[in-house]
Amino acid sequence: MSTFPVDRSPSNKPIPWYIWASVLAAACIVSGLYWDISWHETIGRDTFWTPAHLLIQFGAVLAGVYSSWLIFGTTFGKNTAAQSISVRVLGFRGPLGAFICAWGGAAMISSAPFDNWWHEAYGLDVKIISPPHSLLALGISAIAWGSVILILGEMNRAEGALHNRLRWLILCTGGFVVVQDMMFKLEYTNRVLMHSAVFYLAVSIWLPFVLEGIARASQWRWARTAMTGFYTVFFLLAIWIFPLFAAEPKLGPVYQHITHMVSLHFPILIVFPALALDLISPRIQQWEEWQQAAIAGLVFVAVLFAVQWPFGTFLMSPGARNRFFATQEFAYFLPSTVASVRNVFFQLEATSIHFWRNVVLALVAAILSIRMGIAWGDWMRKVKR
Amino acid sequence: MKVPSVSPFLRGALLVLFLVLPLSAHVGSPDVYYDGHAGPYHLLVTIRPPAVIPGVAEIQIRDLSKNVGRIDILPLRMVGPGAKLAPRSDAAQRNAGDPQSFTGSLWIMARGSWKVQVNVDGPQGRAEMEVPVAAISTTSIGMKVGLGIVLVLLGLLLAAGAIGIVGAANREADLAPGEAPSPVREHRFRLSLVFGTIFIVVTLVLGGLWWSDEARADAKLAYKLPRLQAALEGGNRLRLQLDNPNQSAWKQFQSELQDPDRLRVDDLIPDHGHLLHLFLVRTPDMRSFWHLHPEQKGDGQFSIVLPAVPAGHYRLYADIVHHTGFPETQVGEIELPAIAGAAVSGDDSGVADLAESDKVSPLSDGHRMIWERDAGTLNAGTLNAKQAIWFRFRVEDRDGRSATDLEPYMGMAGHAVFMRTDGEVFAHVHPAGSVSMAAAALANGEMAGVDMSAMHHGNMPSEVSFPWGFPQTGDYRIFVQVRRAGKVETGVFAAKVSQ
Repeated sequence: MSTFPVDRSPSNKPIPWYIWASVLAAACIVSGLYWDISWHETIGRDTFWTPAHLLIQFGAVLAGVYSSWLIFGTTFGKNTAAQSISVRVLGFRGPLGAFICAWGGAAMISSAPFDNWWHEAYGLDVKIISPPHSLLALGISAIAWGSVILILGEMNRAEGALHNRLRWLILCTGGFVVVQDMMFKLEYTNRVLMHSAVFYLAVSIWLPFVLEGIARASQWRWARTAMTGFYTVFFLLAIWIFPLFAAEPKLGPVYQHITHMVSLHFPILIVFPALALDLISPRIQQWEEWQQAAIAGLVFVAVLFAVQWPFGTFLMSPGARNRFFATQEFAYFLPSTVASVRNVFFQLEATSIHFWRNVVLALVAAILSIRMGIAWGDWMRKVKR
Repeated sequence: MKVPSVSPFLRGALLVLFLVLPLSAHVGSPDVYYDGHAGPYHLLVTIRPPAVIPGVAEIQIRDLSKNVGRIDILPLRMVGPGAKLAPRSDAAQRNAGDPQSFTGSLWIMARGSWKVQVNVDGPQGRAEMEVPVAAISTTSIGMKVGLGIVLVLLGLLLAAGAIGIVGAANREADLAPGEAPSPVREHRFRLSLVFGTIFIVVTLVLGGLWWSDEARADAKLAYKLPRLQAALEGGNRLRLQLDNPNQSAWKQFQSELQDPDRLRVDDLIPDHGHLLHLFLVRTPDMRSFWHLHPEQKGDGQFSIVLPAVPAGHYRLYADIVHHTGFPETQVGEIELPAIAGAAVSGDDSGVADLAESDKVSPLSDGHRMIWERDAGTLNAGTLNAKQAIWFRFRVEDRDGRSATDLEPYMGMAGHAVFMRTDGEVFAHVHPAGSVSMAAAALANGEMAGVDMSAMHHGNMPSEVSFPWGFPQTGDYRIFVQVRRAGKVETGVFAAKVSQ
């Protein structure tokens, strides 16, 4: 090693500010989303300027700032080193991740006037899943995935300690992607559905893709466990911290007496199927990809059923109605007649044929998601720009 | 009116929205004007409901007793479990430039019968009153061309960006630093642009279809003006069949039995003594005006023997109130021959040949009704749309002295009908305002359909006033009815609202 380094060696280079900014953007957006859902369940009434919305918007603006800096700096600057590790999009140059983040920010900003008009035309949030909200969700996903790819490009060019530190940031950002995915599925992952196959189907769609893709790209043995562990800690901290803040409903009818922020549910036990995938991964790596996907998909669904089904029974019991498991927390608009307030399961599948059809679909979804994740991860592992 | 075209890709498949006149208990007049007392505090409340539900209603309250300290407002469902489960109330803000005026906004989250609770605090203690509001989605606004262009440009930018990113990912994302893409990669790049474009176009088409589907579903929830069927039988009997076009679209719960706001035609409650108030106005001259009360013969079926109504084309407006306090005005039209009927009796009234006036309308026995356009606050000196106005009318005898023989007419000091000459705006208003009295009674916890004739006893003042606001510009007729010496008198005035 030179005693007079003109430039720091790759392993000692600090993590660039825009990498930290991209992780922060993903963190703000995901935390803002959680806060926003809690806001809707507790207070009900919202505007463009609620703190939760501001946090999400700050994440979008931050993504816009660092990605613009990277793209305009590379395109119009004279830094040939930066240009040599860039891609070209519509005549501009910059890291691929920066373009994806910029696209995400632009999509989020575009969704705002569209959504505002939608409210004026069709009413205030009549449906959560609407065209402008979908554009917003696409933008949010693009910022999170753009961050992952931005960090991957850096990591795949780095060595030694820097490589390892960047890997932690990828797993952290991957954790935010998992949190985001699980928040999109809230409607189907309520504990009242834990004895319906649709719950397992919902979890098995896409999530295995995220886990497999980022795990392969990060090349770390316990990546899936780390990302789902991140999700678990995030949800646990939220259910313990949110109720510490006083709040009350501002929309009626108010069916539940609420004095504090209502958190979302106890984390789904996806850390166990993720751990199982991490355990079997080295043993099946030499297999053909479809075989890997088949066995991994089967293990994912089987372990999820094995842990979540009995845990669902526990969550319905009086033993779970406390500050730790928080099953006594309900949104203000839930009447006492609904299954979750009554602590009973809702059987979504009317017949056993429907049930088993959804079980098979869950298996198919998990296998396809993992197969896509393998291809996606293998590609991401090679991203250098 | 067809909305101006904004862009094929943003509109997706053909999306045609119609701007319709807002409807309510009245026709084309959705705003609520209510003159009432919260204990010792005299208030004039104006509620402008949102055009779409869920939406935000604007509330304006005028402190007429000039001693109000604070006003809190709260929206509540009129009936059902939600009626007792209120969120925290909101403070109405006092207007800095006009200390008697308070404003606020409230979120109305579902269609149906609502009430706004007004809680007042002041030197005379706390008091409350409730104002009924009918919450309906009336219109789907179109997209302004400017916004459409902005969204199209943003959409094109996003589409081009997405295709470019896919292309770049395939061409050079995994190349080593400084390495130039090979011809194979360039080919892959071009292919990915093609596939990316196809993917984006398919996504936009599917998104457009989804948007159209949402718009159609929303249109189903928009309130449709009920159109009654009217037929003349036996030369003088008018039969009416009420319409219920919103019955199925308004199902808000899985079970219809659970839905307190489901509209039916067999659930009507009397409004100052009658299940249905029918107004016949001959068009286009508007000189023949009748206020009748047909009897219910079956579910949604009403019938009445007409008095001596002259021949002509008549517009019909039938005011009803559902058991939830939700008021409706059903409209219809009929061509009538000259009816050989008897004179009107009871609460029925009408005049065969009215002559409108700007200010003085002649009554019988040389009496006159005078529109005091320039008197008092909120006067009607200048007529603007969307403005709360007190319409004051004084009855005087042939010698110009204030009449002393006015009596309550169906429990009210008077009834006023505001009608635009094209028939697209119609409102039946009382001295307490535009709300149905049955709904007001229900909102304030009184028995629905209570006989309101108990409201006024003894001598009546010679002046009657009505708080209301013109919803839109146009030429209006104001028909004012009072009972004097046992006979219902009708004055008619012309009003032009130009801005």
